Formats: sequence, C-alpha cells, structure tokens
Amino acid sequence: MILAWQFIIMIALSSAFFAWFLFRPISQSLSGDESNIAINQQRQDELKSDVNQDLIADDQYRVAESEIINTLATEIRDEKKESIAIKPLSWTLAIILILSIFSLGIYSQLAPKMIPSSQSLSESMSMSDSIEKLQNFIEKNPDDFQALKMLGLAQIGIGNVNESIKAFESAYLINSKDIDLLLQFSSAIAASQDGKFDGKSKVLIDEALSLDPQSIQVLYFSGIVSAHEGNLNGAIEFWEKALYLMSNDHPDRNIIEEALSTILNLQVK
Amino acid sequence: MLIEVGHFALILALIISVVLIVIPSIGLYQNKTSLAQLAKPLVWAQGFWIAVAFFVLMSAFLSNDFSVKYVADNSNTQLPLLFKASAVWGSHEGSLLLWVFVLSLWTVAVSIFSKRIPSDLINQTLVVLGAISFGFLLFLLFTSNPFERLMMSPLEGRELNPLLQDFGLAVHPPMLYMGYVGLAIPFAFVLSALIRGRLDSTWIRWTRPWALVSWSFLTVGITLGSWWAYYELGWGGWWFWDPVENASFMPWLVATALVHSLSVSEKRGAFKQWTVLLAIGGFSLSLLGTFLVRSGVLTSVHAFATDPTRGLFILIFLFVVIGGSLVLYTWRSSLLQRSNPFSLLSRETGLLINNILLVTAMLSVLLGTLYPLILDTLNLGKISVGAPYFNAVFVPIMIPGVIALAVFPYVRWKKDSLSRVFNLLKFEWICVALLTFLSWVFITDNIFVLIAVGLFIWVVNHVLVLFIKRMRAKAKLSMSFIGMIIAHLGIAIFVLGATVTTQLGIEKDIKMNVGETQTIAGYDFIFNGVSPHSKENYSGFIGNISVFKNTKKVAQLSPEKRYYQTGMPMTEASIDPSITRDLYVALGEGLGGGAWSVRIYYKPLVRWIWLGGLMIALGALFAAIDRRYFLRIKL
Repeated sequence: MILAWQFIIMIALSSAFFAWFLFRPISQSLSGDESNIAINQQRQDELKSDVNQDLIADDQYRVAESEIINTLATEIRDEKKESIAIKPLSWTLAIILILSIFSLGIYSQLAPKMIPSSQSLSESMSMSDSIEKLQNFIEKNPDDFQALKMLGLAQIGIGNVNESIKAFESAYLINSKDIDLLLQFSSAIAASQDGKFDGKSKVLIDEALSLDPQSIQVLYFSGIVSAHEGNLNGAIEFWEKALYLMSNDHPDRNIIEEALSTILNLQVK
Repeated sequence: MLIEVGHFALILALIISVVLIVIPSIGLYQNKTSLAQLAKPLVWAQGFWIAVAFFVLMSAFLSNDFSVKYVADNSNTQLPLLFKASAVWGSHEGSLLLWVFVLSLWTVAVSIFSKRIPSDLINQTLVVLGAISFGFLLFLLFTSNPFERLMMSPLEGRELNPLLQDFGLAVHPPMLYMGYVGLAIPFAFVLSALIRGRLDSTWIRWTRPWALVSWSFLTVGITLGSWWAYYELGWGGWWFWDPVENASFMPWLVATALVHSLSVSEKRGAFKQWTVLLAIGGFSLSLLGTFLVRSGVLTSVHAFATDPTRGLFILIFLFVVIGGSLVLYTWRSSLLQRSNPFSLLSRETGLLINNILLVTAMLSVLLGTLYPLILDTLNLGKISVGAPYFNAVFVPIMIPGVIALAVFPYVRWKKDSLSRVFNLLKFEWICVALLTFLSWVFITDNIFVLIAVGLFIWVVNHVLVLFIKRMRAKAKLSMSFIGMIIAHLGIAIFVLGATVTTQLGIEKDIKMNVGETQTIAGYDFIFNGVSPHSKENYSGFIGNISVFKNTKKVAQLSPEKRYYQTGMPMTEASIDPSITRDLYVALGEGLGGGAWSVRIYYKPLVRWIWLGGLMIALGALFAAIDRRYFLRIKL
C-alpha cells in the first residue's frame, strides 16, 4: 500500500477541523416552535394583504384566518429539552480513528499497486525505461499478474516478441482465465509464427471462446482464426455475431465491418 | 502523486459522509446538540475534499496526464484547453464526479443559507443529503472510479467524442446537473420532515425556495441542451423526444408541479400529500434519468450484461431511495391527512388541475421512454417510440394547462363564483377571440399555428391585464408575483415559437454547384464554393454561402464539414440568427465537380423557444427571492 505523508496531513486537517467544532460552546439556534409561530404570523399578514387585493372573499378570509390559527395550534409542541453534554475528546478520537482506519483501508483496496509516472507528455518516459521499471517491480513482486501482463504488452510494443511470450507465459501460469491475457498471448505467439494463428495460438483463442462466447474481442479473434483456416463461413458467423452484440457507436465496429466486407468480397470472387 | 491525493480526497469524502450520517443522527436522537451541530462542519469538509478531487482530475486533463485511464480515454494533446477542461464530464466516470461535486455545492449552500431554519430540521436535512452523497461516492469509487490508473502511460490519449468538442459541453451539463441534483434538496427537506414526524409550516416554507432555484437551473439546462442540439447536430431540430432528452424533461415536469403545489401548501396548508409525493417523485426521476443515461440502458439494453456490477449497484440504489422514501411516506401518512378545504371553483382547484395535467404528461413521457426498453429486455422485439407518439399524447394534455394558467390567477383562494370570474374577464375573452380571428384572416390559416397564436394571445392578454390591474390598485408587487408574470409570459412565447418554427419552417436538401442560387422564403442563397480548413483538433472543409434578400446582402454563412482524429465526420452548421427567424445552412457531402449537397433551413421564431425557456427560469429565480423567504426571527 502506498502511504504518503499527504494522506496523513489530509486526515489530520479534517480531524482538527471537526475537533474545533466539538470543543467550542454550543451556538444558540432557532427552535421549531419559534419558526412556526413566525411563519404563521407572516401567513396572517399575507392573508390580510390578499383580502385587501380581493384575492379572497371576506367570508373566506375569516375561515382562512381560523385555519392558520388551528394549524399553528397543532404545530406547537412546547418541547424544550436540555441538551445533554458530551465528552468532546472521546468523540474527537472516535472521528480520528474512523477517518484513519476506513479511509486508509479503502485506499489500500483501490490504489494502484505501483504508482505510474504522472509526468506530462513532454517529460514522458521512453518505452525501454518503462520496461526496466516494470522488470524491477516484477523482481520484487514475481506473482503480480497485471505487471507481467503489462510487461508482455510493452515487450511486444518494442518488437521483443520472445520476451513478450515469456512474460505472458508467466502471467498465464498465475491466471489462465483472463480473456485479455489469452488474446494478447495468442497474438504474441502468432507474431512469432509469421502471423499464423496455429497450434498454441489457436488453443488460447479457443480457451477464450469457451470462457466468454459473448466477448466481442474473442469473437473477432475467433473469426481471424477461422479465416486463417480457410473457413470463411465460420469467420463471417463470428464477426456478424460480434457486430450484433456491439453498440452502433462502438469504436471497433469499423474494424470488424471492414474485415467482414473483405471476406464477403472474397466469397463473391 | 497529485492524482493519488485526488483519489484519497474522494475516499475521505466517502468516510466523512458516513460520519455525517452517524454522528449528527446520534446527536439528534439523544439530544446531544454538540453532535447534531457537527453536521455543518462535516458537510463543509466533505465539500472541500470533493472539490479537491474534482480539480485534481481537471488538472490531470489540462496537463495531459495519460497515466489516468479516464484522461487517456477522453483527451489528447491536440484538444483545445476549454475542451480539455470540459472533457472532465465528457464521459461516465467524470460526469458522476460532477454529479457528486454539484451535490456537495448544493449541500454546502443549504448549510450556509440556513440561519432562519430550525437547527433540528437543517441538521436532519444535511444527514439525508449526506446519505445521498454516500450512495453516489460509493458508486463512483467502486464501479466508476475516475482515478483508475494505467500501469504504463500511453504516449497519446484517445479522443473526446467530437460532438462534445464544443462550447455547449462546457455549459449544458453543469447547468443540467445543477437542476437534477438540486431536486435532492426538496427531497431531503421532505424526507427529514417525514423522519422527524414534523410536517409543519416550517419545512414547507423552506423547501420552496430551494425547489424554485433547482427548477430554474433545470430549465436553463434543458434550454441550453435544446440550443446546443440545434446548432451542433446539423439537422436544425430543437427537440427530438430522444430518451436522453426525456430523462431530463420528466423531472422538470414533476418539479414544475412541485413548485406550484408548494405554493398552495405554503399559503393555504393544502396539498401536503401532493407536495411530499412530488418532491420524492422529482428526485427519483432525476436519479432514474441520470442512471438510465449513464448506465447505457438507453443506447443498448445489453449494457447491464456487459457491466453487471454497475447495473446491480444502480438498481439497488434506486430501490433504496424510492422504496425507502415511499415506506417512510406510508409510515407518516396519518400526519398528512389534515388539509384545509376549498371549493370546486377556487385557485386551489386550478393548481390541482395543473398538478394532475403535469403528472399525466410526465407519465405519458415515461411510458414512451420505457416501453421500448421493457419490450427489448423481455425479447419481445425492438420498437422505436418517437415524435409522432409524444406529439399526439403530450400536446393535447398540455393545451388545457396553458389555458388554465392564464385564468386561475384571477380566481380567488378557497372559493369563487363563475359569474364573478366571467364578469371580470369577459372583455379579455372577447378581445382574445377577436385577435385570434384577425390572425386567421390576415396571418395564417394553418390550424396548429392558429391554435398557438390563440394560446399566445390568451396568455399574454390575461397576464398583462393582471399585471396592469395590480399596478392600478397600487398593490405592492411581490417578487413571487413578478416571477409568475415572467414565467407565464415565457410559456406563451415558448408555445408560439415551438409551433411556428415546427409548422412554418422550411427545409431544403439540395445539390448546389458553385455560383448556383437557391431561393427559400424570399431569401437567395448563393453557393460560392468550398475550401479546405483545419484547426489543431480537426481538419475539413468550409463552405461559403452569401444570402441576399431583395438584392440586399443579409448574411455570409460558413458551414463546415470537419474530420476529427477518429475519422468521424461532423457537420458544423452556420446560422444567421435573429429574433424573427434563423437562416441555417449545413454542409453535406462533396458530389464532385465542385458541387456539394447542402441543407438549408428557414426557421421562423425559433429563438422564441429558448427565450421562453430562459424567461421561465428567470421567473423562478424572482419567486425564489420573495421577501417571505427573508423572514427575520428573533431568538
């Protein structure tokens, strides 16, 4: 977990702010009865103004006036209770504990395992710097699935296909049910076989398909495998299903539509 | 590290909301004032940390920090500065953060402007608002976290939806959210009154100004949305009855009923049940609308299947808010039974008719919006409910409402007689009939336009005569009265503008060669050709069209066809606006040989639609600053 001094200051500031209010004397405030009396008095004044402007008939004015009085009578509760004093120190400590334990606890669940660089684009790291940083991180955390997957992606990004396959293989041993990994791993193997989705590459796509037959990406890749096998009808079926499941504004829609129209043209020829 | 500070600030705000729910509640129920009074500082601290989170995310956009997934998905280095800032709420996660931020602004405002409100009521209200923000913060952090990081920052971000790369995005959503979220305030006041079992004059009095202000913002938000769609989408429409539009319009209809219902509850102690249900309904619909839009169910019913966690959370949250409120209402319903009586012809009856018509209209819109979704979910087929349904159902419901809104301000409170009202208004009615007849003879024989002109004259005549009568009687004009006058005139202006532009507007979709002239509504549009045009975030073409009337040049229009990074073509219309008509030109496709397809629109009185909307909003603001809301109570 990343525990920064900034977080401690944030908790301390909040706690001090609340403590100041708990320790200071209680400020005098308006009661419900005082408020209702004032509002109903104002309503009576408005009613007089309404009758002067002929917005209510004289006989109805008297009825309305008695309604206001009756309303006030039902609203008055006359319940003046003495406020019970508290021990501000205990409440302050309770608030500090709640803020510290829960906020840091939730942050530990939600925070990224490793803080990526937040530098602006002009100062951004090179890919090899990023890979080095990832490798250092993985040395300390060899079972970090996400980091291994990222390393595999980064390696393939700079053309190190074999290194990429190694990283994906390690990630696969940790979690073989991750669809995204199965697809990336399969692509890396295909890249090492001149783009052919044969052997293990095909097996991985099949595994992904059995895990999630509704995934758009998996259907797209399954279509590619079918097309490579010369099974054009199979490819069409996968891509048409993917298009059916996609929303109209899906960013990858054009890619699949283009692939589908290429195959359809091939069939025509 | 700054991003993580923003992330932690949001978590701290979540925990503070828990403290806000628990500790002041203990104070309220055990009569420990020190603890109850902690509600305000808790609200301020929560608001501060949410503001920190919001501005940290904005700074991530401005500094191109693509280590934040949300920034990388919705911004890039080429995006102009204004759009980078507004891209914060350009997608789901950021817009929810805006929701939470706006809610915290409203909550802080309630806590500051509450000196005239009993402390128990205000503290309980802040607790309810804390519970609402707890739900949203939980949803934001656990299903839609805008601070989610990418292990490796991409060198360049993706693109903000080109439709949203416009000034409209900077102003429309914040205004709309101010209205949407503002409905949480009357809801919280009502809920705290129900929890405390004190449905007295105080909660009604202090609910109304907040309802008016949030209704005003919602009106401005919807009006801006209509204006944005008009100039940005390139089809010249101002309202499409799109489910997303309906999602904001339904709470507006209920909020309109609420502010009127509150005026009766406040002045005459009637309609309390209506008021409570409308406050609950208004906020529930704003929640339903926000989540329908943001969860994706409106664009695809499969959205719940693709993100079951988010969908499930939404359903649970809606169930808790709506179900919990209705249970509370049922529990306290005995306290709402007492209502001061009124006769069949009275101003109260007019406002009751107003409530019934507005709620019926809302239900008709709700049915048209949800019916296709329900059918699709049950695999009973895909249907589209569009403008023909809504125009056929909604408009006839609202016409009696417009007629009633002009007459009932003349009717006395509690009881009146038909003969008195008739004698009072007979000359106005003759005048309206005469003017409408003259409009038929000299202006138009289009029946819809004639009805709209008749309604316009009807409302304007009644409203202005009422105003003059009050002035002559030297009565003190309250801000509420002035607000009503402005808002009702706004409705008349809107009705005329909407009908005239729809019925008498002219649209031509044509092929134009360089030098060719097209004549529409007496205007000559000369196509001078198209030239390449680019800016940092797009490239494309800009057209050159001169407009003449009776050989006098009246406008030079430059419609654009833009291509953004995604390759998505965008039509940027060029408009010559005026109060009586808009000349609107949009560029279609290049057809070879210098020819282009061009859409030309003549839009009479289209600006009246938004002028009417803004007048309604202004009227609400006037009513919200009535002197009765500045009541001084000596302690």
